[in-house]
Amino acid sequence: MVLSTIVESITDFVVQEPKISGLIIGLIAAAIIASVINVGAMGVVWLERKVLGDMTNRFGPCRVGTRWGILQLVADAIKLFTKEDSIPRGADRPIYVWAPIVACITTMLVAAALPWGALNIGGVVYPLVAVNMDISAFFVEAALSLMAIGAFMAGWASNNKYSMLGAFRGMARMVSYEVPMGVCVISVAIMAHSLNIVEIVEAQSIWYIIAQPLGFVIFMIALVTDLGRIPFDQSEAEEEIIAGYVTEYGGIRWGLLYFQEYIIMLLGSVLLVHLFLGGWNGPVIPVISILSPMIWFLMKMILVLVFLIWVRGSLVRFRIDQVTDLGWKWLLPLSMVNLVWAVAVGVYFA
Amino acid sequence: MSSEMMAVDYYIPLIMFLIVGALTPIGAMAVVKIISPLKPTFRKGATYEGGIRPIRDALIQYNVQYYLFAIVFVIFDVEVLFLYPWIYIYTSEVIPKLGGVNIAVLDMAIFIIVLLIGLLYAIKKEALRWV
Repeated sequence: MVLSTIVESITDFVVQEPKISGLIIGLIAAAIIASVINVGAMGVVWLERKVLGDMTNRFGPCRVGTRWGILQLVADAIKLFTKEDSIPRGADRPIYVWAPIVACITTMLVAAALPWGALNIGGVVYPLVAVNMDISAFFVEAALSLMAIGAFMAGWASNNKYSMLGAFRGMARMVSYEVPMGVCVISVAIMAHSLNIVEIVEAQSIWYIIAQPLGFVIFMIALVTDLGRIPFDQSEAEEEIIAGYVTEYGGIRWGLLYFQEYIIMLLGSVLLVHLFLGGWNGPVIPVISILSPMIWFLMKMILVLVFLIWVRGSLVRFRIDQVTDLGWKWLLPLSMVNLVWAVAVGVYFA
Repeated sequence: MSSEMMAVDYYIPLIMFLIVGALTPIGAMAVVKIISPLKPTFRKGATYEGGIRPIRDALIQYNVQYYLFAIVFVIFDVEVLFLYPWIYIYTSEVIPKLGGVNIAVLDMAIFIIVLLIGLLYAIKKEALRWV
């Protein structure tokens, strides 16, 4: 009785004051999403160290915490928090300080529009998404490219020639792969007749990895490039330009920039799962039917993450001219072929 | 307040995401300011370029190639922007048909062919060659 009155008054308030309630809902959602992506990225860092360790015949983290080394990340965080905060003399201080902040804002914006799984309540699937907008695929695509701006700010402000080279390489790489990636997102949206990621997932009775395999391959390559991971990590390339755009960063500022890369990796794999691997779609698991979409989503996400780590463990870095050539001369025309295919399917078979 | 939800109201929660996203690193830096030592010396502020003292600033003029890439990128990024609204109309019944095919599809086909010719031109002119 009391509960229903409370629910009723909350609903009334949301309907009457959409702006204020939007801010309150946004604050709660932002707090939840921030914890999810930060804890998730810690898991990703641990997973990468462990899997890479296994691939190169080492143990990986195995001392702090149990023999699985699960507390290694906490130890690293304590180390970063207690290190001296040193800014180089020649640095452009405001931009230097703002670069990690821009990176953090970017990851939060991307995470706001992505669905984080779904719950199956009484046969109806409710997606867990903070801000369910009509153009979320476009928004995520746009916000992801902001990451390159954070990296460029870091490289520019450091007043270090290697940082500068890394920043320029990162920008050249981003502009080569942004267009094929955008065209792949559009091809997916054409098949689904929507730019809303939730509707894209619901439209995938056939996963789009099967409906447009070419688009999946192009999107995968463009995503690895966007994440700045081997074989496309020319902007940090530690054997050539020290550490690229993060050379002059230390302590917690470096930690923040480094951590955002892993958050972006997590978000990128979530995006890939939603666009091409059917999101939370999958057969209902009997006993725990309420959680079954969540379990499918998490399984696919971990699969993509392990694949990304596997790529890092097996390939070597390309030269920057090979990277831009691949983007402009191969992936861009091929993504147009994929677009024509998607339109043909959309017009004649759907 | 009006009880109808305006389209822009859906984006209000994003303001909170912006604020929380900005406060996370600021909070982390505040914690560092409290608990970590701070003893700046002249040598600690030096630029790290392999141990020797750096010669001149880093803000020098770089390869013009980056500029060409940026120009080509702007052209194609605008093309992709035109494709986004087109998603919603290419199967619309309102738009007249020509030989059984929606005119919007033909329009976009011509647009993309022109742009691909442009890409071919840029490649032939070696605008996209890394030097």
